[in-house]
Amino acid sequence: MRGISKTFPGVRALEDVSLVVQAGEVHFLLGQNGAGKSTLIRILCGAHRADSGEILVDGAPVQLRSPADARNLGIAVIFQEFSLVPYLNVAQNIYLGREPRGRLPGTVDHRRMHAEARRLLDALGLDLDTRALVHELGIAQQQVVEIAKALSQNARILVMDEPTAALSDREIERLFERVRALKASGVAIVYISHRLQEIAAIGDRVTVLRDGRNVASFAPADRTVGELVHLMLGRAVETTYRSRFCDQPGEVVLAVDDVSSENGVRRATLSVRAGEVVGLAGLVGAGRTELARAIFGADRVIRGTVTLDGKPLRGGPVTSVRAGVGLVPENRKADGLALTRSVQDNVLLAGLRKLFPSGWYRASRAAQAAAEVIARLRIATPSPARLTRYLSGGNQQKVVVGKWFVAGSRFFIFDEPTRGIDVGAKAEIYGLIEQLVAGGAAVLMISSELAEVVAVCDRAYVMRDKTIVGELGRGELTESRILTLAMHHA
Amino acid sequence: MRRVPGIGYLLVVLLIVFSVSGSGFATAANALNIGVQSAVLLLLALPMTLVIMSEGLDLSMGAVLSLAGVVLATLLMNGRPLPVALAAAIGVGAAFGLANGLLVVSLDLPPFVATLGTLGIAQGLALVATGGQSVVGIGDALPALYESRLLGIPFSIVIALAAFAVFRFALRQTRWGAYVSAIGGNRESLVLAGVRANRYHVGLYVLAGAMAGFAALLLTGRMSSGHPTAAIGMEFDAIAAVIVGGTSFERGKGSLGGTLVGVVTIGVLKNGLNVLEVASSLQVASIGVLTIVALVIESFLQPAARRAWRSA
Amino acid sequence: MKTLAYRLIAVALIGVALSFTTESFLTVANVLNVFRQASLTFLIASGLTLTILTAGLDLSVGANVGLSACLAATVMQSSGSVALGAATGLVFGAGVGIVNGLMVTLLRLPPFIATYGMLWTLNGFTYWFMGGDTIHGFSPGFRALGSGYWLGVPIPIYLMLGFLLAGAVFTRYTTLGHDVYAIGANREAARLSGVPVRSRINLVYVLSGAMAGLAAVVYLARLNSAEADIGEPLTLPAIAAVLIGGTSLFGGVGSLLGTLVGALTLTLVVNGMNLLAVDASWQPLVTGVIVLLAVWIDVVTRQRAEANA
Repeated sequence: MRGISKTFPGVRALEDVSLVVQAGEVHFLLGQNGAGKSTLIRILCGAHRADSGEILVDGAPVQLRSPADARNLGIAVIFQEFSLVPYLNVAQNIYLGREPRGRLPGTVDHRRMHAEARRLLDALGLDLDTRALVHELGIAQQQVVEIAKALSQNARILVMDEPTAALSDREIERLFERVRALKASGVAIVYISHRLQEIAAIGDRVTVLRDGRNVASFAPADRTVGELVHLMLGRAVETTYRSRFCDQPGEVVLAVDDVSSENGVRRATLSVRAGEVVGLAGLVGAGRTELARAIFGADRVIRGTVTLDGKPLRGGPVTSVRAGVGLVPENRKADGLALTRSVQDNVLLAGLRKLFPSGWYRASRAAQAAAEVIARLRIATPSPARLTRYLSGGNQQKVVVGKWFVAGSRFFIFDEPTRGIDVGAKAEIYGLIEQLVAGGAAVLMISSELAEVVAVCDRAYVMRDKTIVGELGRGELTESRILTLAMHHA
Repeated sequence: MRRVPGIGYLLVVLLIVFSVSGSGFATAANALNIGVQSAVLLLLALPMTLVIMSEGLDLSMGAVLSLAGVVLATLLMNGRPLPVALAAAIGVGAAFGLANGLLVVSLDLPPFVATLGTLGIAQGLALVATGGQSVVGIGDALPALYESRLLGIPFSIVIALAAFAVFRFALRQTRWGAYVSAIGGNRESLVLAGVRANRYHVGLYVLAGAMAGFAALLLTGRMSSGHPTAAIGMEFDAIAAVIVGGTSFERGKGSLGGTLVGVVTIGVLKNGLNVLEVASSLQVASIGVLTIVALVIESFLQPAARRAWRSA
Repeated sequence: MKTLAYRLIAVALIGVALSFTTESFLTVANVLNVFRQASLTFLIASGLTLTILTAGLDLSVGANVGLSACLAATVMQSSGSVALGAATGLVFGAGVGIVNGLMVTLLRLPPFIATYGMLWTLNGFTYWFMGGDTIHGFSPGFRALGSGYWLGVPIPIYLMLGFLLAGAVFTRYTTLGHDVYAIGANREAARLSGVPVRSRINLVYVLSGAMAGLAAVVYLARLNSAEADIGEPLTLPAIAAVLIGGTSLFGGVGSLLGTLVGALTLTLVVNGMNLLAVDASWQPLVTGVIVLLAVWIDVVTRQRAEANA
């Protein structure tokens, strides 16, 4: 890929990126979240079109107008979301859409299909019944089926996006064996992963993306881990987003003790004091949102305790909200707002029970409460009756936060609060957070943006593999320390 | 798809209970009776299985069947040869099926609303065309065919089982069969694989409509007439049979064999209750309860299966 | 509100068209009759509206009315007490609603399946219970509830207005009502905002069932008889009234006033067809087409709104 550039509305995702992959090479593609890896991959597999630049396969330029084009050229991608059909068997899934024909028109030659599938799986070292239904398989096995599917298309260029995210050590080792076998047969592999130790195991070359640019391409032996991390982070970020950090936090507001939850969190322990902004950092899939949801009661806690102001917090969101917890979810459109309703209705969504304990809704009081919050947060809307779906991302986020103001929350969980928001609104959100803690509230902030964590939080916990692996106090809070903790495989 | 659906055990229980308590239940003649009574239902339940596997629903089948029956009877009454009349009935059914398919796939209407609407239309057309009266005088050809037997097995059972065999073969041996499960299980994967998912999806509804039209052959043959409300409500039995047989509303899980067991179970239930002289209306109620029980059981079995499937 | 105005204009237009095409339309008797009929449809459709507002559905309302009416009639006749009979109808209707609600919240069955199963179950029980009999001949005092007049206006209209008012108060002036809209607009967001989703959903199904029970009593008074099949033709018009009135199947949008307008529209169309001597068999067909149109408009409106965001 040469000189690839791609702009999405509002953001320049890729700027003149070049990537060269040889046959039989495992080429690692590194970069923080948002550095441009996904965009580059999607262009490669034909899902997006680059604005400029060219793609060459075997030295010849090619046009990728659709995923079908990419497939015909032998490019196969294994994304994190599987493309398998649960109630079809392994062979059927591998050959979906390309089944070998049987004797009668329209029929499938099952024997041949299963035989071919068997051959593929054997080559990958997987002893799996081709007649097994996919939904019965474990995740690692499903992954191999996906690989087999890609290979059955005679892929010569294979892209693997975080393949080991859900695998155990043993399964990872087996995966690597297969990767080595693929290498030996001449397949070029682009491998995305955050686990730096994997580079030593199977990597031949590394390319680092940062802010949409290719900042370095080299052989693994040429750089140390420290230098790698530095490359990913780039220049040190000077901007402080907070005017005053918290020197004397108040009482412990939230205490999470040895909590394991239904959605995978394992034995997490943390605490947040009044007046603090505590960060929860880690990579995608580390379990931060899961922990937040468990604290809030959206998912069930199966072990350990969550305590708010000394009292145990048990039950679902209704209890948490009443106790004064507010959650600003990661996906504000799906989980935080009712887009088809007005700003006023959304802002009052969580606070109705507090404003009108008798159950009688008084329009004047409601309008007043909404107007107060809209003014205080400076939500830009022509009127409170405007439907939320027409607001900008930043203002939508303010509506979500405003919801908790009305509800009188004292403990806030922010999950990626500034994702997809422009710079101006970002600053306002930080200001809001600062206001909150200055007023005695406690804030737990999840963020994948390391600069943000360092600049806004008093201290931070780092999560990895669904548990908390470290805590960094104010003095130790730097981006490289967070990243190292987040990626280091103990 | 290979395991015995839980309902199979219930069927055995019912068989035993009825054999012991109802006189005249456990006879060969009665068994054939059950088969004949269930034949039409099976013809409806087979395509319904596929529609439900694709996360859809077809509430219009009963009304379309009635309408097709009226069409068939009318053409026979006017002296048209049976093959022509049958083709017309199937055509009518397929037309409604096409309408359903387009409403659901192209216009993105929720299936139950779309088919509820076509139900009203089909029913209305049937009522208007006949003025609420039966269409009689269809001649002897069809009734004779209906009464005929192949190796001692009544015509309707032969047809029903043949249909079952064809469907089963198609589902297992053809590409189309795999796509049906994929439409419900992971439609994206089909699109990504370059398959024209929309066409297959619409085709499912067309098939359902066509089968309803074809089933008119048996229904009209049995009644020797066409009546506009003859099959009203049969779609409910079909849905019940499919659900009770283990097909679920999501993710493309389905079993034609299970549907067969479901149809037989409902047939046995109705017949057994008849022999015990329970009112037919209560039988309907019992099927409703049966369906709900089956759904409850399935909702308990689901969470265990969900573990293995990773969400993005 | 804007779309409601359009719908009202549509009603007026239909009325105008009818008064030109047939002389018997614009008589006091006929107009009052139209409103009476619309009131009956509205009573059933009002509770149904609430369930649809939560992005759910209650397909069992018609069958519920049928069985509740038959039960009420039986009790009235055997006990001689109108009040007892009416109470029976109401309680039974609400009871059905409770079961529906539990199926949706506890068993997590999709509403249309749960209530569809309930529909057939109730149907079956009705036929079995009545066994082909008809119960008729109720006291004139009771019958006035359905057929009588007060101050020259049919009594069901007062009921309609009363429940419209109650419904309006519920949806606009109670937190419960606002919760219902929130759940329909985005159930997960409502849940994560501390709205007690399950209990609200249970409530709307109970209300739907209770209104069906109430409507059953009024129907009984109007028809002065109870048979097994009185409930059958009621479900489709009720759903049609709700959808024509602008309530979206996807939840979160709609109003009881809209349902009233929808009921009026539908009744006008049917009345027109009757006066124009169109065969009654056309009615389910026309209703079916209207439902499809209404839903289609709903889907298109959504898509357009999403594209504009």
